[in-house]
Amino acid sequence: MNRKADGMFQRIATFLTLILVSVAGAQDRVVQLPVRTDGPKSLDPVQGSTVYDNKATVQMYETLLEVAYYDTTRFVPLLLEDLPERLDDGKRWRFTLRDDIFFIDDECFPGGEGRKMVTDDVFYSWKRLADLDNKLENWWLLRDTIEGLEANAQGTKFDYDADVAGLVKIDDRTFEVVLTQPVYRFLWVLTMFQTSIVPHEAVEHYGEDFSRNPVGSGPFVLDEWVPKSHMTFDRNPAYRPMFYPEAELWSEEDAALGLAEAAGTRLPIADRLEFTFYIEDQPLWLEFRQNKLGLIQVPSAYFPEAFSKRSKRLSREFRQEGITHAAVPLLDYIFRAFNMEDELVGGYTPEKKALRRAISLAVDWDEFNQDFYEGLCTVYDGVIPPALEGHPENGRDPRAPRGPDIQAAKAALVEAGYPDGQGLPPIRFYTSQGGNNDQQVEMLQRQLSRINVKLDPILVDFSQLIEQVNKRQAPMFSFAWSSDYPDGENNLALFYGPNASPGSNHYNYNNPEYDKLYESIVAMEPGEERTRIYNQMQEMLFEDIPAIGALARVRYYLIAPWLKNAKPNERYYGWYKMLDADDSKR
Amino acid sequence: MWAYTFRRILYNIPIFLGIVLLLMVLLRVNDPVYAQLSKNATEVEIAAKRVELGIDRPLLVQFAEFMLPIRLDEEGVHWTGSVFGFDDRSWYREDSVWNIVRPSVMPSLSLTVPALILSTFLSVAVGLVSAANRGRWIDRALVFFAVIGMSISFLVFIIFGQYFGAYWLTQAIGFELFAVRGYEAVAAPEVLDPDAGLTIRGWLNRYNVPSLLGWPKHCLLPVMISVIVTLGYDTRFYRSVIVEQSTSDYIRTARAKGCPERTVLVKHLLRNAMIPIITRVMITLPFVVVGSLLLEVYFSIPGLGQTLFTHVTNKDFPVTQTIVAVLAIIFIASNILTDVLYALVDPRVRLS
Repeated sequence: MNRKADGMFQRIATFLTLILVSVAGAQDRVVQLPVRTDGPKSLDPVQGSTVYDNKATVQMYETLLEVAYYDTTRFVPLLLEDLPERLDDGKRWRFTLRDDIFFIDDECFPGGEGRKMVTDDVFYSWKRLADLDNKLENWWLLRDTIEGLEANAQGTKFDYDADVAGLVKIDDRTFEVVLTQPVYRFLWVLTMFQTSIVPHEAVEHYGEDFSRNPVGSGPFVLDEWVPKSHMTFDRNPAYRPMFYPEAELWSEEDAALGLAEAAGTRLPIADRLEFTFYIEDQPLWLEFRQNKLGLIQVPSAYFPEAFSKRSKRLSREFRQEGITHAAVPLLDYIFRAFNMEDELVGGYTPEKKALRRAISLAVDWDEFNQDFYEGLCTVYDGVIPPALEGHPENGRDPRAPRGPDIQAAKAALVEAGYPDGQGLPPIRFYTSQGGNNDQQVEMLQRQLSRINVKLDPILVDFSQLIEQVNKRQAPMFSFAWSSDYPDGENNLALFYGPNASPGSNHYNYNNPEYDKLYESIVAMEPGEERTRIYNQMQEMLFEDIPAIGALARVRYYLIAPWLKNAKPNERYYGWYKMLDADDSKR
Repeated sequence: MWAYTFRRILYNIPIFLGIVLLLMVLLRVNDPVYAQLSKNATEVEIAAKRVELGIDRPLLVQFAEFMLPIRLDEEGVHWTGSVFGFDDRSWYREDSVWNIVRPSVMPSLSLTVPALILSTFLSVAVGLVSAANRGRWIDRALVFFAVIGMSISFLVFIIFGQYFGAYWLTQAIGFELFAVRGYEAVAAPEVLDPDAGLTIRGWLNRYNVPSLLGWPKHCLLPVMISVIVTLGYDTRFYRSVIVEQSTSDYIRTARAKGCPERTVLVKHLLRNAMIPIITRVMITLPFVVVGSLLLEVYFSIPGLGQTLFTHVTNKDFPVTQTIVAVLAIIFIASNILTDVLYALVDPRVRLS
């Protein structure tokens, strides 16, 4: 009896083991990632604006072009057969959609079956940006760009059926876009998630709830979204054949990291994405240490635990665990600036320029970098962030009034008519509250006190700071700009006269010669001539000094040993479809 | 008593209106429109945004629409059927205020209610033990620990509690007794199906009710941390209340006539100490609803504290106004209820 029972138990155990093994073998490849917020605001591309909206939206919706995973300074076709064709010296662009793009199955479509994406979907999606009902959150991307595309007036309905001169349909897959003027950045705009293509049926069917009911053509479909908790996505089973970038596209350095190994693999590689939302750093860090997350941006408080502060080398403990890291330079421009219309610090007379030069020469950016950013930032001259065309070699430009040079600063102050700071009233300096900004202000005050320049610091909410700057009431202020696309033109536009406040030219810098040069570069493709003009424009800024700076942050990421194909970047988030999970290394 | 309650409610209506009006004024001291716009907004877009948010209209019109189920425009008054802005759209997240607030309440309660009950019972018990042994080593030890508990920041308890209770313990025992973060509802709220409110499961979904099995893993550790922190403050308070009562004549009389010590403490002393106990518990009630911001943020409990914090920091007036208005009502109601409870527990109190 006992032997019989033993045999039976053995058979049951073997059977259960077999089931477990087969279940384990068929397990989905799940990639868990953190999102450093309580979740996205909206999954409607035209209403999204934050990094978190971007991260979530691009898993389900797609744009015509996307940033190349292997080189984030380039873009490649995503919904298009090929890169758009440039016509009329860049005033007209011809696009051809791929023939195999389908929206996911959804009840908004007749019979619930997703249909093919056509030219009209592209026009419809872009028109939505101009629709006042969509809050014009991202209208700035296409404003004054496409001929005839205008936002509707207050109190009127946007007419989606009306023809737009600049949107020319050739057939269901081919169309042309006529621009108001040749603008090269237009193509970068088409990589941005806000220009993703959506089906009109879904917008009409879900109405206000469209922002929570995504119907896209992307690699993943939304499974569940619990605000303040998590968001999960499943593989889109009908995703068209798209493949991991070929091996020859990867740099040697990336190939050595194993990033080229998945070349040719069909996308998405993972079966499921799981986003967890974190507001505080500690739970994020502890869950990464518990191997529950694939990668994290290292919170500054935990940097010394993971890296040697001096060499920025990953600690032995982490290396032994198989954790790797990636340093991602951001397209940052962190600066202090002047309102060029201000009576005290603004103006273009030699004295006014000398005053601003004195202040610039008294500021020690390296000290800010060491004390507030653990020395992790890049200090550079000019306005163009590292790795972009026009950025000075090693971040140094001999023409720049880079401090600290107290002797030169004092001499400039004499030129300005304020020898040893005498007669110069305190300068009102606006910055936002929070973080270590009050300490940063104290450091700036100390640095300027070396030349007897006094600040009257005013710390306000960020929205108040914007308000003060937009109303041209802040003589001096602290701001940061993160480039919308990896082209120095985006930063040079910050000083273009017609962009004055409340536009992005918060300095209200007005130099007709500069404006003329800017107008000449917007249509130019990258090249030596364009770089030369970029330098010429920066020289004007070094001379007039509407802003002093700058700093660019470098973000450090830790990658769990089980996460494959990770090359973090903060330019776009469509690369999650490249990620893979090796459960044997969990 | 009913007349008294009714009168108190009437007296409190102007107070409530004042609170809401003051809140609306304070929120609008700085123009919120810039916080709601992209970095490249034009003047036309700024003006359009102001109209869209409805803040271009007189404050009293905005106030009336918030307090009453009406909408006012050039064509007259329209019935909306919704008060306190529950049906308004959030400025921060693409959803209605009700859909944002609704799933936040139960997660908060799943932390604060057990914490309040446990901490009240424990601290009264510890206070009794301490008072009964006044001056002895046990009393001194309890007071010492209470002072220690009060002296250390709540944040420190949370950081250490989370590290040792969730992370370190899991590493040590190889089993996840307490999770570092998270919240497990009976089933996740059906955000994709707004009609899923008809069944019990649908109701549980909608209100984000915690699952019985998931609660200990996700909520017990934060509850324990909350109880430990509260014990310090409450024990000292209840001890002093009980010590004060223990020197009263009626206690001396009870002892003199030979009442057992337990009867003296529980039946005579505790009963007479109920008024300060009730006062303290009732004062805490509104905070029970609003949750514990720090615990919710660190343990990723999607409660009302976290919701309020997120929407205040993002200048989302509709959600902020609604939550504060509801809290004001709860605060006023708990004050009235406190008075009624006084009369119930103490025959000497007459409501008139």
